[in-house]
Amino acid sequence: MRIGNLPNAIVLPLLTIAFFGTAFLSMAWGQIDIPTENILALLCQSMGLPFLSEIPVTPEQEAVLFHIRLPRTLVGLMVGAGLGTSGVVMQGIFSNPLADPGVIGVSSGAAVGAVAAIAFGLSDTSLLALPLSALCGALAAVTLTVFLAMRQGKVPMMTLLLAGVVVGMLLGAVTAGILTVLNEQKIHQYLFWTIGGLDYRRWDHVMMGAGPILAGIVVMLLMARHLNILVLGDVEAKAVGMPVARYRLGLLAVASLVTATGVCISGNIGFVGLVVPHMMRLIVGPDHRRLLPSSLLAGGTFLVFCDAVGRVIAYPTEVRVGIMTAFIGTPYFLWLLRRSRNAMQ
Amino acid sequence: MNDVVLAAERLAAGYQKDKAILTNVSFTVRQGEMVGLIGPNGAGKSTLLKTLRGILEPLTGQVEIEGRETSALSNREFARKVAYLQQNIEISFDYSAREIVMTGRYPHLRWWEKERGEDAQIVDACMAYTGVRDLAERPIHTISGGQRQRVLLAKVLAQQTPLLFLDEPATGLDIFYQEEIFRFCRELSDRGKTVLMVVHELALAAKFCSRLMLVGEGRIISDGPPSTVMTSGNLSRCYGVPVRVVQNPLTGSAEVFTEPPPDDGRRALLLGTILGRGEE
Repeated sequence: MRIGNLPNAIVLPLLTIAFFGTAFLSMAWGQIDIPTENILALLCQSMGLPFLSEIPVTPEQEAVLFHIRLPRTLVGLMVGAGLGTSGVVMQGIFSNPLADPGVIGVSSGAAVGAVAAIAFGLSDTSLLALPLSALCGALAAVTLTVFLAMRQGKVPMMTLLLAGVVVGMLLGAVTAGILTVLNEQKIHQYLFWTIGGLDYRRWDHVMMGAGPILAGIVVMLLMARHLNILVLGDVEAKAVGMPVARYRLGLLAVASLVTATGVCISGNIGFVGLVVPHMMRLIVGPDHRRLLPSSLLAGGTFLVFCDAVGRVIAYPTEVRVGIMTAFIGTPYFLWLLRRSRNAMQ
Repeated sequence: MNDVVLAAERLAAGYQKDKAILTNVSFTVRQGEMVGLIGPNGAGKSTLLKTLRGILEPLTGQVEIEGRETSALSNREFARKVAYLQQNIEISFDYSAREIVMTGRYPHLRWWEKERGEDAQIVDACMAYTGVRDLAERPIHTISGGQRQRVLLAKVLAQQTPLLFLDEPATGLDIFYQEEIFRFCRELSDRGKTVLMVVHELALAAKFCSRLMLVGEGRIISDGPPSTVMTSGNLSRCYGVPVRVVQNPLTGSAEVFTEPPPDDGRRALLLGTILGRGEE
């Protein structure tokens, strides 16, 4: 059910403005406030543009912006956009509005990878060891799920969903098993990862995530018209000439890779992939050619906004973004649901 | 004489390899025929239609459409020859009627192409023909059953195929919508479209179809014009109950009745229990 009367021609520009506006907010807010004009001046100077050179900026501001806030914001935008789009794709593939990117074992696989990296002390050797290990775990889990569900070269969707649940439970047990033999400091490290956060994200994280996430998003956007057909179900899609299995597995692979990469560089952030697509479907309708770009923008905006609010709401401590998404997202989502129910009556 | 557009050869159909529902089915259909598949529930009418469309693989035998074996057709080519309307489509997301009809244009586009003005015109024409142009922007979930079926009919028409396969397109609709769907099909087949439909409404099938196939006992029991297929003997044998077919002198069309099976006295006892008067 659609709500509101916002014409689609306005929604995308509005979301774009919100996307960049929130990015600015995220760069300005924190323990040190950096005024907007200083951010602009710093960005212009770093790119060699001849604007705003008269505004004085301190080396401290420069360091905070380039080494802390900019990578943090970029990771947030990327991960949020990736989770938003792959959430749409997962819900489309399964023709089920309750599917989320973690549904076929991505999150639980990443958790096993992460806990293994922590247990073997790999995470202390390099900043990227934990995310890379988590990525391997996630991809292995998805492969296992698909393999379990495969029958004579076909992958029935219901079986795939159930296989995902089973693999998730199994890997959850593996994670729990490893955790019981870890010391307190390592358990704490895992707990921190599992909540999901954008703090201490460096350019390394940006570099690691950019390739798979951006490429995956482009592929998903290109497939928008085909997703419109796929969500009508196997028979309907086949009846209009779609090679269903090929498209479905291809999109599943892309969405899983994007989600896995996102989870690995920022930890488990559950809420975005499930709820942002829902919110956008209520606002722009189910056509994927509008739904995918708007979920991309809304996902990035939402995640970075939650992160920025989390930084200032309980100053001087930070509330991690994985907690903020649920606290901010739930009431908004409930409000949307109520409105859509009223609109239906 | 018109050309053969559809041929089934020694076809076996079913969901599992070792459990064929239909075996050794062979027939040909010529262009412009309107064929009704009739028969009792579970006889395999829908299974046959799905197998002809390639939704189910033939267990044995083959299907030819316009002279080409269907196993050699790509998904896209197949969808440009045959449009298929399935029974009970569930649509999980709330597309508008127009968006649903537009999916019929999918096989005419390459994967990178988007719909052009020409596609929009075809969609508009199809919706106008089935009388749902006014509902174009309405979400499909808010549309009543009869209107929804008109939207789905517009979708398969937008596919612009020489053949049209419909699985129970009129079941569960008001009498007016039922007759209308048959009238549309008749008009289209008179203009050269070939229509194959699974039908439960025997009287309507007899009135509108140019040819009927009676499916039962794992094969096609009778095949021909309605007057030769819809006989009391054929139907009684196939449905397993006494059926009478009477020509209504007023309308000139066939009417079908069943007669109650003989009562051995047990029914009165059962009724007593059901109505809660067992003690009386």
